[in-house]
Amino acid sequence: MIELTKTLEDGRELVAEIERRTGQNLAACYQCGTCTSTCTANMAFDYPPHVMIRMLQLGMVDQVMSSHTAQLCYDCMTCSSRCPVRIDVADVIETAKNMADERGLPEPERALRLFRKLFLRNVSRHGRLHEASLLFWYNVKSGTLFNDMSLVPLILRKKKVHIHPTRIRNRREIRRIFSVVKNYPRLKK
Amino acid sequence: MRIGVFICECGTNIAATVMTQKVADAALALRDVYHSESIQYTCSDPGQRTVMAAVQKHNLDRVVIAACSPRMHETTFRRTVAKAGVNPFMMEMVNIREHCSWIHDDTDEATEKAIDLMAMGVAKVREEVPLFTSKVPVTSEVLVIGGGVAGIQAALDIADAGIPVTLVEREPTLGGNMARLDKTFPTLDCSSCILTPRMVEVKHNQDIRLIVNAEVEAVRGYIGNFEADIRKKATCVDEEKCTGCYICVEKCPSKAPDEFNAGVGESKAISIPLPQAVPLVASLRKEHCRRYIKGKCGVCEKVCPADAIDYEQEDRIFTDKFGAIVVATGYELFDWKTAYPNLGGGHYPDVITAMQYERMLSASGPTEGHIRRPSDGAEPRNIVFISCVGSRDESIGRPFCCNVGCMYLAKQAILTKEHIPDSQSYIFYMDMRAVGKDYEQFYRRAQRDAGAIYLRGRVGKIYPLDGKLMVMGADTLSGQQLEVAADLVVLATGFTASDGAAELAQRLNIPYDQFDFLSESHPKLRPVETTTGGIFLAGTCQGPKDIPDTVAQASAAAAKVIGLVSRDEMETSPMVAEVNHMRCIGCWKCIEVCPYKAIEKQKLRDGRQVAIIIESLCQGCGICNVACPPSVVSLRGYTDNQLISEVVEVLR
Repeated sequence: MIELTKTLEDGRELVAEIERRTGQNLAACYQCGTCTSTCTANMAFDYPPHVMIRMLQLGMVDQVMSSHTAQLCYDCMTCSSRCPVRIDVADVIETAKNMADERGLPEPERALRLFRKLFLRNVSRHGRLHEASLLFWYNVKSGTLFNDMSLVPLILRKKKVHIHPTRIRNRREIRRIFSVVKNYPRLKK
Repeated sequence: MRIGVFICECGTNIAATVMTQKVADAALALRDVYHSESIQYTCSDPGQRTVMAAVQKHNLDRVVIAACSPRMHETTFRRTVAKAGVNPFMMEMVNIREHCSWIHDDTDEATEKAIDLMAMGVAKVREEVPLFTSKVPVTSEVLVIGGGVAGIQAALDIADAGIPVTLVEREPTLGGNMARLDKTFPTLDCSSCILTPRMVEVKHNQDIRLIVNAEVEAVRGYIGNFEADIRKKATCVDEEKCTGCYICVEKCPSKAPDEFNAGVGESKAISIPLPQAVPLVASLRKEHCRRYIKGKCGVCEKVCPADAIDYEQEDRIFTDKFGAIVVATGYELFDWKTAYPNLGGGHYPDVITAMQYERMLSASGPTEGHIRRPSDGAEPRNIVFISCVGSRDESIGRPFCCNVGCMYLAKQAILTKEHIPDSQSYIFYMDMRAVGKDYEQFYRRAQRDAGAIYLRGRVGKIYPLDGKLMVMGADTLSGQQLEVAADLVVLATGFTASDGAAELAQRLNIPYDQFDFLSESHPKLRPVETTTGGIFLAGTCQGPKDIPDTVAQASAAAAKVIGLVSRDEMETSPMVAEVNHMRCIGCWKCIEVCPYKAIEKQKLRDGRQVAIIIESLCQGCGICNVACPPSVVSLRGYTDNQLISEVVEVLR
């Protein structure tokens, strides 16, 4: 159980920070659930999107920032485009994640953050994903070098993973996309 | 000249910010002011008596009352001074509440402003001359625009008082949207069973003249004395001769969309919307008729046993005088297709509107009361109802609630269970609004007896899969994302103002809101009046509402109309324009700008033509006053001299 007056008071500043960064008024949400009904990643989430917004309305910022949802949302933006009160739900969730990053994540989410970083670096190098090097670097960086090693002969035999990367032709273009995205604030609708 | 000044404290409304005694003291220093005082509540009985006593004791002939807005109490205080023997138009009200105390915090500055305002009032009242009201006759006939349940109720109530009514309906029959409904919540009584007797009553009432296929084209005049042009559209059928035998409809070779049945089923180019139509007369739609499209056909003329078909018929316009007008133009349902591509945007035949479903449920509808999927004619088992389609959605600019969706979906779920006992209804809703009498019990009945599953969430998307419609939704109560494999999806589309409502409002000179619903004069205290005297509102043209509210509002409008036109004559305001004939140059600028057509040319004995004001038509708007190049038109009660004195006073 939460003590609501206290939760609201404690969360006020951070919620205001999320609203300031995203330019959203979270009080406008009337919990219709459109975001959840169209969410393409909800099966992996611990809290559905409308619950994320609700928790922010109640000041429960810590739960939001440390949620799997914040880490796993991949910004497909369907929720934002269908929201009847025009809240950019995906931006709110991403901002919560960024703020969690800035403040240092709690332990169980470090692996997720590492995976995301390695995944993006991998794609920026090859233009598409090269699973073998991602698996390798993930095991190295996470300090679990021999994790799942027993599966390697099997996946190689079934040709699920290739040792040599297949690259796209115009890798310079991919690098340009990455640098543009990195240097620009989120594109507003 | 002896002026009295009274400063109202309005409890603390004014006195908390304005030092009223100081204003009263300042008044005494002004020329011609013989008495001033501060009163706690001037509008109260003792307050008014204080004013009257002071008028008599100090022999005052003009009064300034600094209090609230004249919109609140001008009538009150005019009556007060009249009782004390002063001409009511020699009383000037100064607004030191809405214009001063309520909007300022600083007491010193607010007091100073109140003194200025009061002094301006004194300056104006000095130039006042006594004015006298006159009387104009009132036309007793009433015009009701719209023949839905609101218009029918208003017309019958007014006619019951023995007052003649002209009821104008745009469609070929009375009944409006209510005639299309199967049953009505929360009692489940059959809509046409309760409506058609009223329609027949209209037809047989001696005092009601019913004109269908007609629209009001222009309205002139003012309260008690309107004049309207009514256009009766050509339908190629002589209403006097047609007997409603349906032979022409049966034989007509041209198919046409069936608007009455919301597009379920098909109609003919010549048709009668429903068997209980009033009047029961066929009408021909030229845009679908083979004779007008291809140039040859004449089947209806050949088969008509009453010789009622007349292809040469033309629109007729007739003009009549009315004392009052009731606007009851109703609503239309929101066209959802472009706004909601995620619900299929109209591409899936088995996604239908609730009105289409209503026509399916109706025993006299195109499917004779059988629920059928439009795509393959099969009986659906799992039926999904979606609330708030085009309502409460800011992203498409429609933030308002439709007021009836929650209840009509509950009704349709109950009826669905009656029609198909092994069916399952799913209702996606955002909030349950069951605020009318017995509505909550009705909603519980849909859950408990009809077994409808209520899912609290909005639908994100519909997509077809293996002959079913997959409805992606959420149940926010359990926090679940879910999908329903539906056979049929019914959308509760919201209300929009009826087509042409804004244009009609402009013709009638009455205000309307951003959604084209017509505006009442005050949301609580003048709910059926418009800001134009003599024009009243009834039903959904004013905003979404259900049948009980519509009928109640129609009766309220009727009561207002009866009160107005049962008088033989009414007082008019003497604050109208007047022309100084000596100096009028006859440029007719005033005639051009007058919105009430209240100015005419007149030849004087010396042969000069000048403008004259028809006082019974003039509403005292002052536009001619401003437009007049030699400045010879003035407005009584607001003469140039009065306004200049006010300005001089405040600049002093």
